[in-house]
Amino acid sequence: MSQSRGSRIAGWGTANSLVILFALFPVFWIAMLSLKSPSTISDGRLIPSSWSTENYKQIFKQAIFTDALRNSLGIALIATLIAVVLAAMAAYAIARLDFPGKTLILSMALAIAMFPPISIVGPLYNMWRNLGLFDTWPGLIIPYMTFTLPLAIYVLSAFFREIPWELEQAAQIDGATPWQAFTKVIAPLAAPGVFTTAILVFIFAWNDFVFAVSLTSTSAAQTVPAAISQFPGASQFQQPTGSIAAAAVVVTVPIIIMVLFFQRRIVAGLTAGAVKG
Amino acid sequence: MSATVAETPTAPVRRAPVVTDRTKAERRLGLMLCAPAVIVMLAVTAYPVGYAIYLSLLRADLRFPNDRTWVGLNNYGTVLSSSLWWSDVFHTALITVISVAIELVLGMLLALVMHRALFGRGLIRTAALIPYGIVTVVAAFAWRFAWASSVGGFVPKALGLSYDPLDPTHPVTNYLVVILTEVWKTTPFMALLLLAGLTLVSEELLEAARVDGASAWQRFWRITVPLMKPAILVALLFRTLDAFRIFDSVFIISNGPNPKLETVSILGYNQLLNRLNLGLGSAVSVLIFLLVAVIAFLFIRGFGTSLAQQRGET
Amino acid sequence: MRRLVVIGGWVAAALWLAACGGGSSGGPADINVWVFNEPSGAFKDAAQRCTAGSNGRYKITLNALSNQADAQRQSLVRRLAAKDSSIDIAGLDVVWTAEFAAAGWIKQWPSDLAAQLKKGTLSGPLNTATYQGKLYAAPANSNTQLLWYRKDKVSSPPKTWSEMIAQATKLKTHIEIQGAQYEGVVVWFNSLVASAGGTIIEGNKVTLGQPAQKAADVISQLAHSPAADPSLASQHEDENRLAFEAGTADFEINYPFIYPSAKSDVPKIFKNIAWAPYPAIDASTPAKAPIGGINWGVGAYSKHPREAFEAAACMRNPQNEREAAVKGGLPPTLASLYNDPAFVKTYPFAGLIRKQLENGAVRPETPAYADVSLAIAKAVSPPTQIKTKGFVAALRGTLEDALKSRSLL
Repeated sequence: MSQSRGSRIAGWGTANSLVILFALFPVFWIAMLSLKSPSTISDGRLIPSSWSTENYKQIFKQAIFTDALRNSLGIALIATLIAVVLAAMAAYAIARLDFPGKTLILSMALAIAMFPPISIVGPLYNMWRNLGLFDTWPGLIIPYMTFTLPLAIYVLSAFFREIPWELEQAAQIDGATPWQAFTKVIAPLAAPGVFTTAILVFIFAWNDFVFAVSLTSTSAAQTVPAAISQFPGASQFQQPTGSIAAAAVVVTVPIIIMVLFFQRRIVAGLTAGAVKG
Repeated sequence: MSATVAETPTAPVRRAPVVTDRTKAERRLGLMLCAPAVIVMLAVTAYPVGYAIYLSLLRADLRFPNDRTWVGLNNYGTVLSSSLWWSDVFHTALITVISVAIELVLGMLLALVMHRALFGRGLIRTAALIPYGIVTVVAAFAWRFAWASSVGGFVPKALGLSYDPLDPTHPVTNYLVVILTEVWKTTPFMALLLLAGLTLVSEELLEAARVDGASAWQRFWRITVPLMKPAILVALLFRTLDAFRIFDSVFIISNGPNPKLETVSILGYNQLLNRLNLGLGSAVSVLIFLLVAVIAFLFIRGFGTSLAQQRGET
Repeated sequence: MRRLVVIGGWVAAALWLAACGGGSSGGPADINVWVFNEPSGAFKDAAQRCTAGSNGRYKITLNALSNQADAQRQSLVRRLAAKDSSIDIAGLDVVWTAEFAAAGWIKQWPSDLAAQLKKGTLSGPLNTATYQGKLYAAPANSNTQLLWYRKDKVSSPPKTWSEMIAQATKLKTHIEIQGAQYEGVVVWFNSLVASAGGTIIEGNKVTLGQPAQKAADVISQLAHSPAADPSLASQHEDENRLAFEAGTADFEINYPFIYPSAKSDVPKIFKNIAWAPYPAIDASTPAKAPIGGINWGVGAYSKHPREAFEAAACMRNPQNEREAAVKGGLPPTLASLYNDPAFVKTYPFAGLIRKQLENGAVRPETPAYADVSLAIAKAVSPPTQIKTKGFVAALRGTLEDALKSRSLL
């Protein structure tokens, strides 16, 4: 095909712009909505006719939102930490060691990845009710860990398989202690994989709605997705549209930052997990 | 991923007939390292599923806490003979089939762009990951607020609609918005899975075909797609199961009971957590679990045969 | 290493004991009240007055539940079933008493406080707080719906539903009423059935009959007439209020909260707002208007039940009920207020409300009420899609299943 370079650039330029438009338009819309002044919220315009940060001021005054932010952050971080540690141990074993039951474990992880969460929400509610874990942080951390372990194990074992483990032995031959060999040689090589896995797990925990809305009910443990869906609004009669839009933007900002900085890693992690796993 | 399960990802085991101490130690270490993860996964999925099966065989309603009686398969009878259950299954299947079909096409297009873009690949990937990372609830609200006249959405105004598209008496537009939300949110993930498969298609093969005079269309359908089959099937499997379990977007967009839009997950949620009817709700949960298992089984079976075909061909 | 573990164990035990034991030592008892965010602030004022008047015995904190009754119930039942001890007092909709009492989620009132409460309380509201003859909650406020209309547009208010539909059609205006698939539409249906002389459920039996058919016909007639608001199928009380305040409707069937709201929101329209009794089915039989309201129930797992009972009783004393009526439009449950001329001056529809409360339509009292309500709501909403043919037989079947927790809803 002999197309001039100019028309090819124009063609790809259009394709790129379409992709970006497709990906960002809803984010743009909700951001615009959040910046509308409360009286013009329902005017049906895309761009605000009168700009105001009133919605943001409102939500940060409401404990339901600030508590939910705190809960989301804490629960997601702790779940990520535990999930990554457990997955790293298992992935190390799968990548490096030889033992019976490897296939079984991987199949089980696969099965869990396909699991419908709604099927265990009922029993979990009843179990947590009897154990006093309803509406608590551990009550959410435990299901989050469980459902992120499969993805974490697959991604990490794919990464770990790429690591040249002989370097560890080489370092030891050169006189390093096993600990030094691990921290100075292996850990830096493993770090990107671990970091990527942590990001993927965090995104899952941050995003979850089913468990949050079923296993929590007050600001003690309610995360932002669940809280947003139950916003009472500034006064009893006003639709809390502005507050929801502002809260939505606030909760999206960390994700956007993460994606911006770690795009390469995230793509590598997802595709590695998909191909190798 | 199921391909590797069938072929085992482990290195081929060539053990000496005698199991050495070293091997035993390695095996023990391997199992011990996996143990915590395995225990957590089993405890939080297998046990509750077993518990759900147990609850589904009882008449268990938290509003009558002293009234627990064994009813055998009665709950299943109630669910399977209820028109509400079957219409919800239909709604769920409809949403699943339509969204996955659209996602496959759009995802493939997006994967091609990500793979072959002349410039700005990083920018595209970043942009494409944002729908993936965004909280589903946020996406659902964005789409709902855009389409609902009652909260000042700009779409009804722009399209000059006389009715509120999200009113429960207009099921078609309700489905449209839910499907749009799902497609928007998960096409990037689909694209990434397909991208992984795209990178495995050898450039030389495509180049040779081009030299031989094959058009881009022919190259795509005769070479790229067949070589991508494993990736496509994997992507389809995961997205179909995901779509069948849909909850977040339907919950937010229906904004209250909307019987024409209700899906099976929402039905389960209503029975379990609003009516506190653990018996019926657990029966619904178990049935959903079985449906998902059946879909997965069918896919893997179909996948296995197509893989065998491929191996037979090459 | 072993030593550290032992010491650590003692420290942990000490901390745990301190945490557990701390609650019962001195200081006012923390009473957490969970109720919807009442807009006029009357509940907040009551909480403050009672805290001050308790002389350090207890401290009341208001916590917000959702504004929608269904969501309030969902949150409360989930937490009470999980034995939540942070619910000391809950603002219960009148129809929840049977369910909460039967499930053991609210405490029965001690006889001394119950006797005090019963004195001077209207019988209608008092009945909604009783289950199987025992008092389970303190009636905080009652509620009923009136026919609000624009006296500058409507010369004489209609007495029946057909009259109202005809008048509205002639004036090319809307009738605002709750038609979404939730408790509000069940209230409407129940009042119509009662006004037609029938009942829905009595005790454990479904008593649906011809009056129910009449009720379905009225709803269907209104929904298909040009007087129906196009958004009827998604309207709750708030949407009705907003439409009436916007001037697009000249008739509204709603609770008195719209009155103080209109006074502050749309003073020009407020001058022309008048009220009339709830419409009847036929002119010869007076209508039975809805009876609603809030009762204060004490959570079964509260750590300070005695203080909670006292706090609840205080929050509905004459002074607090008077303020809730004047500031928030919430009808009182104490008979004395209705006899007080000073109060009646500031609450002009007091006489009509009292009359309606004495002869109102109570919703079915059964522990399975939530399911009954769901079944009815699904049968009559969206109102334009009611299947009027064979309506009674179909609803009968669904209700019988609902009473036995046998159906999927």
